[in-house]
Amino acid sequence: MKKKGLTSALALTTLVPSLAFAVDFQADGTSIFRLEQRATPGFEKQTVAPFTQFAGVDVDKLADGNLSLHLYGWERVDLGDSSTGEKKNDGELSYGYLRYRFARANGDLKAGRFVVNEGIASEQLDGVAGRTDLAKGFALSAFAGAPVKLDRGSNTKGSFIAGGRGSYAYGSILEVGISGVHEKGGIYEPLTGNKYDRELVGGDFWLRPEKHVELNGRGSYDASTDGMAEQSYQLKLFPLKNVTVSGLYNDADLAHYFSASNLRSLFNPDLGGKVKSYGGAVTWNVAAPVDVTGDFRHIKRSDSIDQNLNGDSNRYGADLRLNFLDKKVRPGVSYHRVEGATGFNSYHEIRGYCMYDNGRYQGSVDGIAQLFKSSLYQVKNAYEAVASAGWRIIPALALSGEVSYSRNPWATDDVRGLVRLTFNYISESKGANK
Amino acid sequence: MTGAKLFGIVVAVSGMLTIGACAVISKQESLPAWHPEALGEGRPDCVECHEDQIKGVAKGPTTFKHTTEFIRQHRFYAAQDGKLCEICHKASFCNTCHANEREIKPSVFLGNRPDRELIHRGDYLSVHMIDGKVDPTSCYRCHGRANNEKCVRCHR
Repeated sequence: MKKKGLTSALALTTLVPSLAFAVDFQADGTSIFRLEQRATPGFEKQTVAPFTQFAGVDVDKLADGNLSLHLYGWERVDLGDSSTGEKKNDGELSYGYLRYRFARANGDLKAGRFVVNEGIASEQLDGVAGRTDLAKGFALSAFAGAPVKLDRGSNTKGSFIAGGRGSYAYGSILEVGISGVHEKGGIYEPLTGNKYDRELVGGDFWLRPEKHVELNGRGSYDASTDGMAEQSYQLKLFPLKNVTVSGLYNDADLAHYFSASNLRSLFNPDLGGKVKSYGGAVTWNVAAPVDVTGDFRHIKRSDSIDQNLNGDSNRYGADLRLNFLDKKVRPGVSYHRVEGATGFNSYHEIRGYCMYDNGRYQGSVDGIAQLFKSSLYQVKNAYEAVASAGWRIIPALALSGEVSYSRNPWATDDVRGLVRLTFNYISESKGANK
Repeated sequence: MTGAKLFGIVVAVSGMLTIGACAVISKQESLPAWHPEALGEGRPDCVECHEDQIKGVAKGPTTFKHTTEFIRQHRFYAAQDGKLCEICHKASFCNTCHANEREIKPSVFLGNRPDRELIHRGDYLSVHMIDGKVDPTSCYRCHGRANNEKCVRCHR
């Protein structure tokens, strides 16, 4: 499947010269070389030196000016021991598609490999998709094709997928949407070897009854197992220009939410169980350079066959973000606490960083500590410090690198180095760089 | 009622409602492919320029203010307003975290950007054993059907 995807991408690129008449061209790439000495107690010492090339191309204004081509992928080669414990090279075409944008109605058509995010549908596929706004606030989108499978087997996804979303917006007050996904053979039952169709339907809404209040939500119903999979709601209040208050409620029934998992050893729908959580956050933009966020969430797991997983947990904390000297200096600190339910572990997480970027030179330091309530492999704390330096050689080319040191339950001393070359060429400036 | 029947009914009803109610394509001009003005460093605040409404979008500029909480809950907006997100964000931006197969942890890929709100910082190998028990749904969103080849090495 992967080779097929790469072949399709190459075929698409051969079309470019014949379609182009005055194209805009953007190419970006990130080359990352990592060097790691891995010393895990009980295992042989390893030197890992993977080189990974990420590359993307965006060609706009093809054909009549509304056609564009987008490609992105990566390839890794291990120059030392295997970095993954498996094969020493790997790669993936993340996306590669032709897109036609219409001048009106936000209409567009895509063909190739791409990701769709429409209501409850969030899928990567090799196929076609289209969307358009209709009159009187309606809109419609649809997609169909073959789901992109994982490397480890043909049973990780189905053979055909189709879906879409219909929506209606009333002024700047209300938007409601209905969406669905059908995947032929998308659920694989490893014990019986049977395949079932995956079917998910759902709705989403956004409501602003008053300019200081917003409510949005989404819910999905698993039609393959006949049960409500998930509901999520978010209430946002804007009491002051520089203050945002939000409340969040999530409810998931794992028998239906996990029904289409292709990793049943981890997400097993047969175990059932429910997860409900509620909480909120307050963001206060104290002044232009000072941003404070406090957040809290209470999570309850229940009705599981494995009673050890039942219980009430809390997660809370705060983030402080600052910026000085026209945003050239950007420091931040954060603290979070996860209080696990009885039988779960708990931890504190403390982080501080500072970065400097004047456009030509860049540098940063970043430290994080995770302090566990109960030891993991006789170790109670994990620390990591990262120092970074970078130099923008020319506007389109930057060289940067990091050195990190960490101590954690898995490694007594872990030193890692990384060199990164970033390339970003744009043939024509069209406003904000993406 | 079987799942297949329900699915069919929902698709048919939504299709008929939408197309029946308005068989006409909107005449409104599409949103631009690129944000016309260059944006400054850091998180944007649309309200700085867009006073009350973003042309062609139902939601107001305050909705899209990129606060820390907005970034953490961006799934609500990405599912409804992808057409607006892509004015400023290329697909490769989303691909930094959301991918069928992610080669490098986002916080390592962007190790020179500690100011970015990126997940799984520090020793997440240890932390995931706690977070995963507390709320497995947060893991499932990204690793339930994709990007889980690394999970399989231990969770067989």
